[in-house]
Amino acid sequence: MSAQVVAMPDPGAQSRNAASARSATVVRPPNVDQSTTGGLSATLLLAALVVISLAPLATLLMTALLPVARFPTIWTVEGDLDQVISVVTNRIVWRSMATSAMLALLTGVSATALGYLAARAIVRAGDRVRRIASAVAFLPVIAPPIALGVGVQVIALRAGLGGATSGVLLAHVVPATGYVTLFLLGVLRTYDHRMEEEARSLGASPWQVFVRVTIPALTSPLVVAIALGALVSWGQLALTLLVGGGAVRTLPVELLAFVRAGDDRLGAAAALLLTVPPAIAFGFLRTGARQTGAIT
Amino acid sequence: MTTDATAAPSNAALELQHLNVTFGRNVGLRDLSISLRHGEHLALLGPSGVGKTSLLRAIAGLSSVDGGRVVVEGRDVTAVAAERRGVVYLHQSPALFPHLSVLDNVGFPLEVRGVSRRESRERARALLDRVQLGACASRAPDTLSGGQRHRVALARALAAEPMVLLLDEPFAALDPELRADVRGAVFDLLRGPDTGTLTGSPVDGANRSRASNSPAVIIVTHDIDEAVALTDRVIVLLDGAVAQDAAPAELLTRPRSLSVARFLGLPNYVPGVLEANGTFTSALGSFVVDAPFFPSRTEMPSASSSVSSSASSSVSSAASSGSSQNAWLVSRADAFLVGNDVAAVRASRSDRIHSTATVIAVDERVGGTTVRVRAGDVEVTAVPERESHPTIGATVALTMFVLRTHLVADVDV
Repeated sequence: MSAQVVAMPDPGAQSRNAASARSATVVRPPNVDQSTTGGLSATLLLAALVVISLAPLATLLMTALLPVARFPTIWTVEGDLDQVISVVTNRIVWRSMATSAMLALLTGVSATALGYLAARAIVRAGDRVRRIASAVAFLPVIAPPIALGVGVQVIALRAGLGGATSGVLLAHVVPATGYVTLFLLGVLRTYDHRMEEEARSLGASPWQVFVRVTIPALTSPLVVAIALGALVSWGQLALTLLVGGGAVRTLPVELLAFVRAGDDRLGAAAALLLTVPPAIAFGFLRTGARQTGAIT
Repeated sequence: MTTDATAAPSNAALELQHLNVTFGRNVGLRDLSISLRHGEHLALLGPSGVGKTSLLRAIAGLSSVDGGRVVVEGRDVTAVAAERRGVVYLHQSPALFPHLSVLDNVGFPLEVRGVSRRESRERARALLDRVQLGACASRAPDTLSGGQRHRVALARALAAEPMVLLLDEPFAALDPELRADVRGAVFDLLRGPDTGTLTGSPVDGANRSRASNSPAVIIVTHDIDEAVALTDRVIVLLDGAVAQDAAPAELLTRPRSLSVARFLGLPNYVPGVLEANGTFTSALGSFVVDAPFFPSRTEMPSASSSVSSSASSSVSSAASSGSSQNAWLVSRADAFLVGNDVAAVRASRSDRIHSTATVIAVDERVGGTTVRVRAGDVEVTAVPERESHPTIGATVALTMFVLRTHLVADVDV
């Protein structure tokens, strides 16, 4: 704008001033209005992001803990405390949560064990094998869970594991191992394998190397890997239903049942319980990752 | 199965018997036989890719061999696991364990062998004191400087009380100033009188209660000066085989072949003909070489022992078989001297040849000045006489000290 002011006053001098106008345009200081607008936009975008992220959670919270609101009121603080207590103490919710937690933990540990071995083998393989194996490790991640589930279901049924918790565990381990392998591939590519060689050379047996060098040196990434595998299992619905056949009642399965039955309150409570542990785990892992320098 | 098989009794700390090592798509090392005594320090020199690191890894048991045997203190360890060989391999940059303190890093080899934590820490502390890092015992490895990390790695290696210590380009990652400092400290430590018994009574005392229990050390390096300065013996590996195995001084003054001379970077190569009677003739003049000419001869002939004694020679067959053959005179710069006083050029003697030459380059370096001169068709690098300051284009007096030159056969050309 200041450039236009410089160029405009005398039309007769337009050509004379053209050069100065151009140069003025070039050297114009940062526009204060623009930066203010930019700051405002950023604030608005940030606010929108917060609303979009938190609104569903807030709704879940209120639906679960507050009496059902009647239109046009969205919510009200009036209500029956017994209703809230009945949700919080609902046995179905807690039992399914325990099943989910057990499956998640076992999945996390199993996937990490398998993923570590796979990633280690891939990292140490020749170039060609490494490329192929890395691509194969991606498959369970790329494939939609439902597609993967059909395949796992056939295997589980033939193995006599249909409807069994062990069959569901097997089903969860498949995609979880894919994610964990990819994660650990990144970790092991930067891991200093020379430490293990030097430990061997210094007199440590392979087992001593694993226990005294590998595990301590990789503790943080392995914990993250277990959490990653557990999270894949925790939110799993399609595979649980396909292989568990409805007999294995995890939290997502019960959530679906509550929603289908029109019990919004229990559905919301289950949804909240499904959300909170991953959020806590995420915060914990983020702190751990920051401490190890993985993120800033 | 050769595991733990007892080889022929030997006093050698390490013996490589007809070892074949391949790596990647390279041909690798063939039929390598090397023997090292306790306390002997050997440098392995060779161009990149010749297989020096692969050889060390094979000796340490970190990679397999394609034939031959690795024998440590008379015991065939070719098929023995790395941790039971008594061989410690140190990587180029120290691979300290980040989750252990400096003290526990050094104590690691003791703890994995069943020494109590208390005792291993005591012995580790003594070793850290030896490398002047006692004050850093409780620190994390990543808080140490590069030089300190090297010293910790070495202390840790010595804690394992190895019979053979393998150092793979240990100073390559350090900057020049630090390099000199660390390598000096390292080799002082290795040469210490009580090396190998630093940690007190050995764990497996039966094997270690020998009079000489200093580890044999093999150091892989690209740095010829480092190899020569720090070791008792140098092996040059070229084209998958031992090209020369010699004491450092001999290596520089008597390279066994043109390839070795070129690898070492000797500056002077003068072509000529070696007659059956021992006369070597080149553009710089003629002199008589001591005869007969055995390549294995290692003693420098003395000028006073014979009127005709002069250059050493690695040329043998043709001269001793009665026909002439092409040969090369090779030398370091100090075999040639340039001076300003051209008028003083005298007749050549049996041990020195005088001529005139033209200065074509002057190379000023920290270590001294060298002058590149041309005499006829031949160019040589020489050192200037004290007080002489040759300039490019100047005619100078050139003196060749025959005893400082060496003849090699023409086969590598």
